[in-house]
Amino acid sequence: MNRTARNSLIGAGTPVVLLALWWVLSDQSTNAFFPPLRIILERFQQLWLFQHFQSDILLSLANLFTGFAIAAVLGITIGFVTALVPTVRWLIDPLIHFLRGIPPVALVPIFISLIGFGTEMRVTSIALAALFPVLIATVDGIRSVDQDILDVSRVYRLSRRERITNVILPSAGPQIFSGLQVSLQVAFIVMIASEMLGSSQGIGAMTLLAQQSFMIADMWAGILLLGVIGFAVNMIFNLVRRRVLAWYIGSRRLAKSA
Amino acid sequence: MNQSTKPMLLSAAGVAAALLVWQLMAVGKVAGEALPPVTTVFAALFTTLGTGAFWSSLGATVGISLLALALSAVAGVVLGILIGSFDPVRYATLAVLEFLKPVPPIVILPLAVLVFGPTQEMSLFLVAFGCLLPIVMQTVDGVHGTDPVARDTARSYGLKSPEILFRVVLPSAMPYIGTAMRVAAPAALVITVVAGLLGGGPGLGQSIYQAQSGGDYASLYALVIVLGVLGLIFQGATRAAERRALHWHQSFREVVH
Repeated sequence: MNRTARNSLIGAGTPVVLLALWWVLSDQSTNAFFPPLRIILERFQQLWLFQHFQSDILLSLANLFTGFAIAAVLGITIGFVTALVPTVRWLIDPLIHFLRGIPPVALVPIFISLIGFGTEMRVTSIALAALFPVLIATVDGIRSVDQDILDVSRVYRLSRRERITNVILPSAGPQIFSGLQVSLQVAFIVMIASEMLGSSQGIGAMTLLAQQSFMIADMWAGILLLGVIGFAVNMIFNLVRRRVLAWYIGSRRLAKSA
Repeated sequence: MNQSTKPMLLSAAGVAAALLVWQLMAVGKVAGEALPPVTTVFAALFTTLGTGAFWSSLGATVGISLLALALSAVAGVVLGILIGSFDPVRYATLAVLEFLKPVPPIVILPLAVLVFGPTQEMSLFLVAFGCLLPIVMQTVDGVHGTDPVARDTARSYGLKSPEILFRVVLPSAMPYIGTAMRVAAPAALVITVVAGLLGGGPGLGQSIYQAQSGGDYASLYALVIVLGVLGLIFQGATRAAERRALHWHQSFREVVH
């Protein structure tokens, strides 16, 4: 067998082997903390497919995406204004940098005390916490646009709108997307945290509740689901990114092989 | 107006305006008791700074973050070198690591609380879990990305494997490890706070939870301000440490024309 075939076999085989090991080793487990995988999957199917699908899974995901979308739109817009208008930048720069230092989850208790435990609180917490990574990345991305390109676009007398959509946005794109990716991860964390802090709905709330009421298999089912969602959301984001930044990824590959 | 004083004046004006808006909203009772005035918050901040309980919480938070960070740095670099040096191991762990990478430690918080209880060990475990993976993956990338020519040259000069590891592979992986540490250090602080807030571990997270559930809103805001300052200190300190440790690397060298 040649090397690449062997390596890809190892790559694909290891997760399967690990899952099989978990299944076999835990099968007779009487340890209260680590129930058999068989039972966890059974509970997974009973809980999430589809008894709590609409009431909890969809609710959590809707909060996640609403919050993230608000953060993305606001972050990129404010980022543009901040980077292009020096007066605005000087005005709000220290504020942004101070707010960025606060751990995002620490904002959740503040919003609970301000707006209560409802959906608005969760979406607001997610949006505000996820705002800063994309905002800062947008500012940095625009500030690092090549000065020569800006000069050339001025020489060609591009209008302000053309300069922004055709020159600045594409060249800041890669950095904006890295910011968006961090924002998405923060949004996911705050989604879970906002549910764990005293609400009764959502995947995070159900998982923590299962732990507190000692329903261990349910807790494991929640952890599995959150893990899968965390992975899937990130994967979808990467697909979108690859699509939007195809020109950039292609040019990087060319530059590398040259 | 002078060119350099204008930005500073505007920055000061921005902060002052934000504080003023906050004060007016609080005095106007826009959000009732839940939004205390700036003056009350800063009074609470100074009272809090005078208590021993605050300083022991702060010490617990910083201590847990740094200890877990150190543990995961050592374990992460060792694991990363092992994984990055052997191709089969690298392929075997690739899928598992890629799956675990986007999963934040808050996901396994219920499990950690179940096994360890609301203790310092629980916080340490969560922080180490959260910081370990990025460090491992960056080290693997760095080790794998070592210039093969440099490695072969070292071998043909008769360097032994440990020597190649310490003189060629590790230095070339250092910038990757530096990046991982710069990302991991603020993350360690965040996870420590999360572990305290949601899991009941010791530290400022727990203090915030108590302030919120006890309705002590002035202390709540004061603690969040403290965390903001602490977060900035962590970010600044790791950036400075990275620059110091990697001053020899080309991305940190001053450009000489």
